[in-house]
Amino acid sequence: MHELIGSLLILLGTFFHFSAGLGMLRMPDAFTRMQAGTKASTLGNALILIGIAFYHPGWTLKLVILIYFVFMTNPISSHALARAARAIGIPMARKSDARPDATSAALRDGV
Amino acid sequence: MPRILPAIAIVLVGLIFASIAISYSEQTSLRPLAESYVRLVPQELGAPNVITGILLTFRAFDTIGEVAVLFMVAAGVGLVLSGKTSAEASGSPESKTPASEIVRTATQILLPLIAIFAAYIIMNGHISAGGGFQGGAVIASAVLLLLLANPSQDLNATFLSITESLAGVLFVAVGIAGLVAAGGFLDNRVLPLGEFGAFFSAGAIPVLSVLLGVKVGCELSVILDRFRS
Amino acid sequence: MISTMVLVTGLAVMLIGLWGVLTHRNILRIIISLSLIGTGTHILIVAIGYVRGGTAPIIDGALTVADAPARAVDPIPSALVVTAIVIGLAVTAVLLAYAIRLYDAKKTLSIDAFTESKW
Repeated sequence: MHELIGSLLILLGTFFHFSAGLGMLRMPDAFTRMQAGTKASTLGNALILIGIAFYHPGWTLKLVILIYFVFMTNPISSHALARAARAIGIPMARKSDARPDATSAALRDGV
Repeated sequence: MPRILPAIAIVLVGLIFASIAISYSEQTSLRPLAESYVRLVPQELGAPNVITGILLTFRAFDTIGEVAVLFMVAAGVGLVLSGKTSAEASGSPESKTPASEIVRTATQILLPLIAIFAAYIIMNGHISAGGGFQGGAVIASAVLLLLLANPSQDLNATFLSITESLAGVLFVAVGIAGLVAAGGFLDNRVLPLGEFGAFFSAGAIPVLSVLLGVKVGCELSVILDRFRS
Repeated sequence: MISTMVLVTGLAVMLIGLWGVLTHRNILRIIISLSLIGTGTHILIVAIGYVRGGTAPIIDGALTVADAPARAVDPIPSALVVTAIVIGLAVTAVLLAYAIRLYDAKKTLSIDAFTESKW
């Protein structure tokens, strides 16, 4: 029973990883690609690690610490990438609402 | 037309790879050389991690050669990237955008953890999975995080160069001590073997792991610093 | 069975990298594809050393000294790959330095602009 739940969670995690890859291929713009890659793959990571915790209940503490590390590093690296992309002026997709926002104005003025 | 030639090349190479995959069958027992390594490393060297024992004692010349290659690459990157690039001629150090608050806060939390993790990997090279190269790469990633969070941080390149050269010299010195006091060059029995699986065991392998980790970490940091400027 | 799947994955990654080198026009994508070829080779080499039903060649609670020669996986390919990964990183660093220099010379990242070495 434990193993069934664990396997289902791992399968769900791999589905999220696959959708992250698919999103990176199909999204029109650098920013939307970064968003698809980070959010879906972080969630996929967390689900796979929780599924493994169902398989080996003795490893739960180590896996929780691993999930904490993944949540700390993945979003921050994507945030740094997106900020750098905005600062050097990578164009947004034409279909989006390209109103100037506070971050890009601040980065342009060199705050 | 422009895509036909690469497609034909990929199909032909794919056929060769398929023949490799089809004729492959798993081994059911170790080959004689591998079996002798797996038997000899715990017995003669006292190291539970067979791979680190091979890398730092039986095949130690390859490790020294690879350290020399890293050194040459650091020098080569410095040579290619020296001289004024056009970006340098027009920009100025004050125009670097500072990192955002999220990155700086996260660095304050993550940097000590990454450094401790790197030290743990290096020191655990002979007991369980790990070793000098792996720990050195993790140290370099910590330095990269520091550079990203603090774009105006100046790495002391002189200190890094002196440290890495010193680590290399000490590595060869331990090897020559092995020539003098034990079986051969880089033999690890210059220091006592100790009890199996303890922290201070396996002779000179922990010392060599630390020196290797320091050297690789400094070299990768120097390469990152050259790319930054 | 496991090592056959890993072997095929390594070969597939090498093929994807080779296709990328031959097709792309942007220098950075060519460098990434070369790094993919290297990664595929590393996966391939580690997959060859698998022994059926074997475990990692590290002697701890799961593998005692006595039955290590019978149940351990081949350690030699893993040791070679450790060195190979670091050297692959070093080669990528030199390639990126070259890419920076080429961009400074012609202000474009497409290799179609560099025709001096063509026949």
